[in-house]
Amino acid sequence: MKKYIFHIDANSAYLSWQAVYNLQHGNNIDLRNITAAIGGDASKRKGIILAKSLKAKKAGVKTGQPLFEALKVCPELTIVSPNYQLYVTCSDEMMAIIQTFSEKVERFSVDECFMELSCEDPIAIAYQLKNNIHKTLGFTVNVGISTNKLLAKMGSELEKPDKVHTMFKEEIIKKMWPLPVNELFMVGRATYKKLSKYGIVTIGQLANTDIVFLSQIMKSHGRLIWHYANGLDFSPVKKDSRKIKGIGNSTTTPFDVDDIRYASLFILSLTEMVAIRLRANKMMCHVVHVSYHRASQGGGQGRQRKLISPTDQTNIIYQTAMELFKEIWDEGPIRHFGVRVTMLYTADIYQRSIFDKKNLEKKRKLNQHIDLLRVKYGSQTIKRASFIASGINNINGGIHEDYPMMSSLL
Amino acid sequence: MKILMKSVDMICVSNKDGKISPIKYKFVGKDEQIHIVKINKILERNEERLAGNRMYIYKVMSIINNSQRVYEMKYELATCKWYIYKM
Repeated sequence: MKKYIFHIDANSAYLSWQAVYNLQHGNNIDLRNITAAIGGDASKRKGIILAKSLKAKKAGVKTGQPLFEALKVCPELTIVSPNYQLYVTCSDEMMAIIQTFSEKVERFSVDECFMELSCEDPIAIAYQLKNNIHKTLGFTVNVGISTNKLLAKMGSELEKPDKVHTMFKEEIIKKMWPLPVNELFMVGRATYKKLSKYGIVTIGQLANTDIVFLSQIMKSHGRLIWHYANGLDFSPVKKDSRKIKGIGNSTTTPFDVDDIRYASLFILSLTEMVAIRLRANKMMCHVVHVSYHRASQGGGQGRQRKLISPTDQTNIIYQTAMELFKEIWDEGPIRHFGVRVTMLYTADIYQRSIFDKKNLEKKRKLNQHIDLLRVKYGSQTIKRASFIASGINNINGGIHEDYPMMSSLL
Repeated sequence: MKILMKSVDMICVSNKDGKISPIKYKFVGKDEQIHIVKINKILERNEERLAGNRMYIYKVMSIINNSQRVYEMKYELATCKWYIYKM
């Protein structure tokens, strides 16, 4: 029997999960059949589109778009606020069904996973799996079949929804090479721009470009995407990949921020939540990342920095985030802030540094007690004086970090 | 049958094997009066896991407005709520 890799991807995950849940509760409108999207809070003009229906996609709504922009493109758009608890349940149930087919399953993100299985007829298994999920849980998935993770993923991305696709090595030229290069895994906006500058617009053109040339213009990333374009990937299906890779938090502001005081308050309120989650997971971070999106002309910037030693202290993360923010901010109006920490270590044992500030242990204990008070009596129990009369919440954001939303490593 | 999904106050019994059966329920009707309906017979029991949310579905028979009606009820395990599902 031959070994196959399957990639299972829930179709418009958050939206279809919400749609099935609503139907189960007697709602007679199927969100999948109207122009609908999941994201933020429409009344507060906050948040971004997390998932959209196929009809909304046709109307021009994009994932990641701010709500007010999506409503401009499609005024009749139905917006439903996200219910993360439901999504975690759906994800777990989907995994439970997949695990009845194979023991070797890797959860890649909340709505997609890889499965390794040795069998005679992979297509029959894929149909069985797809139909089983549809019948039991009520939502559809796409299944991609191949011999490595990259090709399986590229396969499941082909035609949606509710489809099984194969993407074997011999099919690459026919099925993958004619696709636009930005459809390739790991080719984002910046890489796409760079490649189109050199006239590389399809995956086939990328695959036939000289690797030495790509290496010169994009270093190791160039080599990686050249391998991917040629269907080369040797990463194994990792059985347990529920380890959190990073903790992040972001918010869309209710007004344009062009003042350093307000910007620092938003960054502080996001950092508070990030640090609470970090401590709740008994972890410490080594890298701090801060980002912003401009209000009008679009786009934004981000920058990250490695700390001298790992920390779980709100103040240290905040100070680093502010240093980074001051370096990248062009003083234009901002509509969206994000703070993220990565390179996580366990907080039980960690490397001290001679540059550590005094009373570090005392400060850690203080933070732990503040967390306890906030859990017991609410987030408003203790707040920093800088938030008084500012109109900004002392803690911002609230996305669950139970699963990585998207991973960039196969 | 039409989907109603109306929540009701229910008296049910859970036997020693953990099997739950509805006995009678109370609900406020369109006339704003409280009605009490007895479940005369359970015709079918099913379970669904749509969106990972477990619900028991019962096809039941009751006397409503002096006539015998067959309809469906739902019990949501996560919230312990009973609903008249389809009538």
